[in-house]
Amino acid sequence: MQPKSPPNPGRRKFLTYTTSFLGIIGAFFTAIPFVSAFKPSAKAEAAGAPVKVDVSKLLPGEMMTVEWRGRPVFVVNIPEENTNFITKNLERLADPDMEDPSQPEYAKNEIRSRKKGIAVLTGVCTHLGCAPKYYPEAKPEDFDSNWQGGFFCPCHGSKFDLVGRVYANVPAPTNLVVPPHFFEKDNLLVIGSDGVS
Amino acid sequence: MSENTIGKKSLNWVDKRFPVIDLFERHLSKYYSPSNINIWYLFGFLLLIVLVMQILTGLWLMMNYTNTAEGAFSSIEYIMRDVDYGWLIRYMHAGGASAFFALIYLHMFRGMMYGSYQKPRELIWVGGWFVYVLLCAEGFTGYVLPWGQMSFWAAQVIISLVGSIPFFGEDLAIWIRGDYIVSGITLSRLFAFHVVLLPILIIAVVFFHILALHEIGSNNPDGIDVKKHTDQDGVPLDAKPFFPYDISHDFYALGVFLLIFCTVIFFFPEGGGYIIEYVNYEPANPLSTPAHIVPSWYYTPFYAMLRAIDFPLFGLTAKFLGFVVMAAGIAIFAALPWLDRSPVKSIKYKGIFSKVFLAGFVISFFVLAYLGSVPPTETKNMLAKVFTFLYFAYFLLMPFYTRFEKCKPVPERVGDAA
Amino acid sequence: MKILFYFTILFSSAFIFSAGEYRCGSMECDYFEADVSDKASLQRGLSTYMNYCYGCHSLKYSRYKRVAEDLLIPLEMYENNLIFDGSKIGELMEISLTKEDAINWLGAYPPDLTLEARLRRPDWIYTYLRNYYPDSSRPYGVNNKVYQNVNMPHVLEDMQNNLSQSEYDQVIYDLTNFMTYVADPSAEQRKRIGIYVLLFLIIFTAFAYMTYREFKKDLK
Repeated sequence: MQPKSPPNPGRRKFLTYTTSFLGIIGAFFTAIPFVSAFKPSAKAEAAGAPVKVDVSKLLPGEMMTVEWRGRPVFVVNIPEENTNFITKNLERLADPDMEDPSQPEYAKNEIRSRKKGIAVLTGVCTHLGCAPKYYPEAKPEDFDSNWQGGFFCPCHGSKFDLVGRVYANVPAPTNLVVPPHFFEKDNLLVIGSDGVS
Repeated sequence: MSENTIGKKSLNWVDKRFPVIDLFERHLSKYYSPSNINIWYLFGFLLLIVLVMQILTGLWLMMNYTNTAEGAFSSIEYIMRDVDYGWLIRYMHAGGASAFFALIYLHMFRGMMYGSYQKPRELIWVGGWFVYVLLCAEGFTGYVLPWGQMSFWAAQVIISLVGSIPFFGEDLAIWIRGDYIVSGITLSRLFAFHVVLLPILIIAVVFFHILALHEIGSNNPDGIDVKKHTDQDGVPLDAKPFFPYDISHDFYALGVFLLIFCTVIFFFPEGGGYIIEYVNYEPANPLSTPAHIVPSWYYTPFYAMLRAIDFPLFGLTAKFLGFVVMAAGIAIFAALPWLDRSPVKSIKYKGIFSKVFLAGFVISFFVLAYLGSVPPTETKNMLAKVFTFLYFAYFLLMPFYTRFEKCKPVPERVGDAA
Repeated sequence: MKILFYFTILFSSAFIFSAGEYRCGSMECDYFEADVSDKASLQRGLSTYMNYCYGCHSLKYSRYKRVAEDLLIPLEMYENNLIFDGSKIGELMEISLTKEDAINWLGAYPPDLTLEARLRRPDWIYTYLRNYYPDSSRPYGVNNKVYQNVNMPHVLEDMQNNLSQSEYDQVIYDLTNFMTYVADPSAEQRKRIGIYVLLFLIIFTAFAYMTYREFKKDLK
């Protein structure tokens, strides 16, 4: 049959649009559980919970690797007599003032840490995700005749200083990321939490 | 509206390369459905929605499920507890399975009632029947995955049925299990069937089913051929376009369906033990069978038939015979188009025998469903035999009673129907 | 045709109501209705569970943190008072008892009870825990009316002797209530969301119905 024309086109338009609109809203709400299910589960969260590290046995100049959320976190004991690099050589660094937000607010200081002498850095090169190697000594290296000590990424040659600030003219664009951390006790470092502030 | 809007232009661009307008017209705006179709014609659309929901929720479940004997059970609890809204997605999937069967039974009954399987819709019917068979397999394989006690013993019982086939049955059962008992190896392959092979087949056959339907058009409660009378433009006089007339009806039906479905999954997700069995909250234990094993409600009529056959016949063991009768109970639907010799389609115009036998079929289906869900007793077993007989009588006597009974005349046009 | 429809209704209702045969062993189950919104009851139940049951029965599908959060217990308080083995708060509630040790010491491996309330139903647990009776023929000197010849000793025996009947019933109520919660921790959230979903669907269906009626006018 050929349908008749609607007796009240305004009403029809209103009803059709409202129903379609409600349908879209419904579809949107239906999507919520599906999107949420992609978030880290309670299991992943438990596995990614903050880790506690005793740093009292970390000798000056030594570095230890701690796993947090499946990634290496470098904890470095920077000897006091060796801290002049912080103000030296700044012209060779890409972002010495830490404009890029690759550290929490409380670590936006010259030591990039909450405690003098202890650097906490995510050991993932900001270029393509390799783990940089630790070369603490300020001495000529194959990759840099004027090496001041720090991290060198073997994958593509990016260079960072001992507190993770990236050198200029290397592939890595930003400084190494400082993870959230705080000291629960003097020598008890907690990685993965900002602590209660 | 001018011809030159961006929307029109891009539509034309696409249409020259892919027939969108033609498809839209053929399947929606110029797909005509009879003007007298009633609520029995809503279940196809709802089934399609449930199919989409099962695929989506299944995909999400699969992301967190572990298909090993050691990990399966706890991965379900992982989904239920640790994954955000995992419980909802699982309840949708488990409830969706029951909804799927409830709707497909109603959909099939519609076809039986109005003779929708008759010429020229034989292939639509057989395609639909095949979807049902695939769905039975899909339901069974999915039921095993949580690897609780019911899962394990259901798999054990169903696969043992294959063992009843004479000569090579036992070897076949071992081959299917890939082990001497149902084990993690069996679980793994049933998982592969459940998430890859069967869904692909179901989607393909559903596609075929809908394509075949749209070629011929829907039947209707009067069994009138609405394409016979058209106006000067070739539009059938007793039909209306699917879009927007049927789609608005379908959306209303969807609302009602979702109200029922969401009441169940949000407030009664276990469905009193019919959607998720309580016994399945115990991990699979090959050394101890639960006191009372029942299949899911949607298989119980056939399970009752299996149990009703407790006698050997023609040199076949009772076990094998039971298996054959159960399989025949499902297979025989496919033969309906050739069993029905009636000159009319709809039950409205068929004679008294068709009505009595169809009523007998419905009653036996429900009685068998009940009997299959309770522990057997002697009386109940006797009843199961009687109703199995009645069930098959509907099909097997159909060529006779449909040919000889007196039918009422079918009106020419929809409006003429009394 | 109508008659078919009525048959359908009749038989389907017979089918649904026939499923209710449920017995607690040798007796009828006592009436029990959980109230998982009663956080104080759940907290008391948790405390009883952790002190009397958890030595043998793990809750290994549940996490400490989830329980703490759902029961409104501050995480720190929970860690200090209700985690005995130095587990982290995010971990699963597993116990250190191994299968071998359990079979050597107890003769059987005590099952995990996370899902017990879904498996046997809460009223069964409630009835079971209240129906131990002395039986000198059994190894622990007790037997149970709900679960004949059960291997589990009556761990709450001292408590039962020191409390009045109604106080003891309250302890068991809280414990069963907690087990009901832990078997299905999303139940509260589910019902809360469910209300909104149904309200939305009523509105949607009403509009879809009016739209359907509107289009139907063309075909008259």
